[in-house]
Amino acid sequence: MTKKTAFWIFLLGTLSSAVLFLAATWDTHRQVETLSNVDKLSEQVVAGKRTFEKYNCNDCHTILGFGGYYAPDLTKVVQRIGADGIRYRVKSPELAFANSWRKMPNLNVSDAEIEDLIAFFTWVGEINNNDWPPQDSKKRLSRGEQAMVATVGVSPGAAVFQTKGCMNCHALNGTGGTFGPALDTIGRELSAAEIRTYVRDPKSVDPKSMMPAQTGLSDRELEEVAKFLSNRK
Amino acid sequence: MEYRSQKIAYWYFVAALPLFVLQVFLGLYLGSSYAFTIPQEIVDVFSFATARSMHTNLLVLWMLLGFMGGAYYIVPEETQSEIYSPGLAYFQLVALLVTGVVALIGFFFGWTQGRPLLEIPRPLDLVVVVGALIFLFNIGMTMLKANRWTVIQGTLLGGLVFLALLYLFGIPFYRNEVIDWYYWWWVIHLWVEGAWELVTGAILAFILMKLTGVDRHVVEKWLYVEIGLFMFTGIAGTGHHYYWIGAPRYWLWIGGIFSALEPLPILLMVIDTMLHVKERKTQIVNPLVWTYAIGCAVFHMIGAGVWGFAHTLPQINYYTHGSQVTVSHGHLAFFGAYALLNLTTFYFAMPKLKGIEVFDDRRGKIGFWTMNVAMMIMGLTFGVAGVLQAYIERVLGMGYMTAQSYMRLWMLVTIVAGVFFLAGLLTTVTDLLTLRPAKQEA
Ligand code: HEC
Ligand code: HEC
Ligand code: HEM
Ligand code: HEM
Ligand SMILES: [Fe+2]
Repeated sequence: MTKKTAFWIFLLGTLSSAVLFLAATWDTHRQVETLSNVDKLSEQVVAGKRTFEKYNCNDCHTILGFGGYYAPDLTKVVQRIGADGIRYRVKSPELAFANSWRKMPNLNVSDAEIEDLIAFFTWVGEINNNDWPPQDSKKRLSRGEQAMVATVGVSPGAAVFQTKGCMNCHALNGTGGTFGPALDTIGRELSAAEIRTYVRDPKSVDPKSMMPAQTGLSDRELEEVAKFLSNRK
Repeated sequence: MEYRSQKIAYWYFVAALPLFVLQVFLGLYLGSSYAFTIPQEIVDVFSFATARSMHTNLLVLWMLLGFMGGAYYIVPEETQSEIYSPGLAYFQLVALLVTGVVALIGFFFGWTQGRPLLEIPRPLDLVVVVGALIFLFNIGMTMLKANRWTVIQGTLLGGLVFLALLYLFGIPFYRNEVIDWYYWWWVIHLWVEGAWELVTGAILAFILMKLTGVDRHVVEKWLYVEIGLFMFTGIAGTGHHYYWIGAPRYWLWIGGIFSALEPLPILLMVIDTMLHVKERKTQIVNPLVWTYAIGCAVFHMIGAGVWGFAHTLPQINYYTHGSQVTVSHGHLAFFGAYALLNLTTFYFAMPKLKGIEVFDDRRGKIGFWTMNVAMMIMGLTFGVAGVLQAYIERVLGMGYMTAQSYMRLWMLVTIVAGVFFLAGLLTTVTDLLTLRPAKQEA
């Protein structure tokens, strides 16, 4: 090979890749309009984005999977804990995470800013991004649940408990979240039917409950998890 | 040292080294935040987020200083002329350092752009741009005036201009989060897998040519092929960051295919380094410099080539995206490719700048091996934590904090390895700053 051939390899390699890349960039701009619901990209959403940047939330939390990996991904945070959940945690992290071994700083975010943040997270949560992250994908997790029953041999109720987000907030046998109470002995207090009602709509039982209604569970799943929990005594 | 203005490089290197040390101290704080419970009162004042922005910006700052110093060292020899304006070069060094220090202090007080890795506030970005323009002007004028173009010079200048241009895409405020990340990667990815690879290719080619005495002709032919492949795979390979951001689905194909080819030019770099070393026409005077050059090529391949490939296909990336697997790759790649390249340059140039022909490399060797072994271990422990996270959080769906509790032990081991890394780094930095001639025996 001569130096001249080598030069042509360089030139053609660079140009062909750049042309493909720029063409795809142009088309991406076009398609992102629909994929990200630009019609819903309101001024409040933009204000929320500015707030998100102002407090550097992104160097602890990922969003769309980018950023610091120190805290839960916020892409689908509204689906996961609801608007009220966000308000409480951002306003008083020292209370919300009092039992946790990892702390979130109280950044003195104002109430108006928190509303902007919620608008921003709501908009981000609806971006059509090929169903990422898997931990918040209902479709994937049903598969994870089935796999768990089949391979690890846990009961269907335990599998629901582990794969349907309950462990984001509750612990069993010492592992899990710390936001809600540990449920190791919940069967002493509540029957299966009571658990069913509570999980479907906690506020109907206790209007001050901090637990968001778990609407992502099918009736069968709710049945299984209630049975499983009511046997924990 | 053949040209007086090469001495500029020395001060760039001296400025870079303490920043590297500071970066690693902050890394240890980050690691501790994973392994231990940092009390609320401390977190409220000095949070993980602040420390992380310092850790990563220090990294970029010292590496850019290293590259610039490298350019100031190489360009006089390549153009056979003095640097156009040494005064401007020193001014630019001071301007960049001051900007860096102001930025770090600013982060502590919450003055930030708030976008990962690009936290430097926009007003300071402007100073950075001016600094970069002065630098490019200085280097460009030197080359133009000398008018003795070589492929190494061209690649170096091309890489540096490309690098500066890309930085501009990180400055605007983007209203749409999707578009924001789209262009964020033009800075991050096209830097480390594009522009920086060009600069690295040029610097490594120069050092290898000088060390081994292999013909310029041969070295530059390889260089063309390598940078051609880097550009071909790297530009469209940016798509491996567009899988889950709300960009069209065809990015899964473009990103997957092109980025899967990205290890090829790195492999080529390892092969040509080995070949040149084997066919050397010179004596090995300072073995440590050779060790660094080879170590850099090999670790580049491990961190970027192997670790990068491991999670670049969409089927795998779906589960590992934004987990400690990414951190494992980030550390191995940045250290293997760019920290080692800079240290290779320092060990090649600093003795010459001090007029030492054969230097005493006993401390340097200890430093090299301690850092390399410690970083490899850190890569592995971050990696284990990452695989646990991907499985427990993403496959099983057991929640973020559940996964974190299983990862804690591995983050603790990472800190232990990190302390060894720091020891190796301190040894290396001390050695570089106090190089002495070897005792005459051979
Ligand atoms: C220093 C790091 C840090 C910063 C900065 C930070 N957080 Fe957090 N955040 C955490 C940690 C750690 C948790 C999880 C604690 C736990 O569950 O034990 C958390 C949890 C949350 C949660 C609950 C997520 C879930 O799925 O349960 C929300 C919502 C949240 N943070 C929002 C924010 C917002 C908004 C900002 C910026 C204003 C922010 N955080 C800044 C560390 C941080
Ligand atoms: C976002 C956090 C969160 C999630 C997710 C969550 N919970 Fe809760 N849960 C709570 C909190 C907080 C409480 C305590 C309610 C209160 O008094 O404020 C609670 C209470 C409960 C109780 C009643 C405990 C008692 O002592 O009365 C049950 C039962 C329960 N949760 C079951 C579940 C199940 C089953 C799931 C999963 C399908 C689930 N939770 C998901 C936060 C959560
Ligand atoms: C020297 C070159 C390289 C360096 C310094 C480097 C560094 C990094 C860093 C720091 C990140 C994390 C960015 C973030 O999200 O904050 C990253 C992500 C990534 N890198 Fe590299 N990289 C290099 C080369 C490569 C190569 C050659 C490949 C593929 C073959 C690759 C594949 C990836 C992938 C797939 C991700 C995304 C991870 C995720 O989804 O979270 N990298 N790289
Ligand atoms: C004692 C040594 C070190 C320790 C303990 C350490 C630890 C860490 C931690 C915990 C993070 C944050 C990851 C997260 O967001 O969860 C981080 C980020 C990072 N560190 Fe280090 N670090 C060390 C040294 C280094 C060195 C030597 C380099 C480069 C040469 C480096 C490059 C990076 C990069 C590029 C990131 C961003 C990663 C990403 O976005 O994926 N670190 N480090
Ligand atoms: Fe990349």
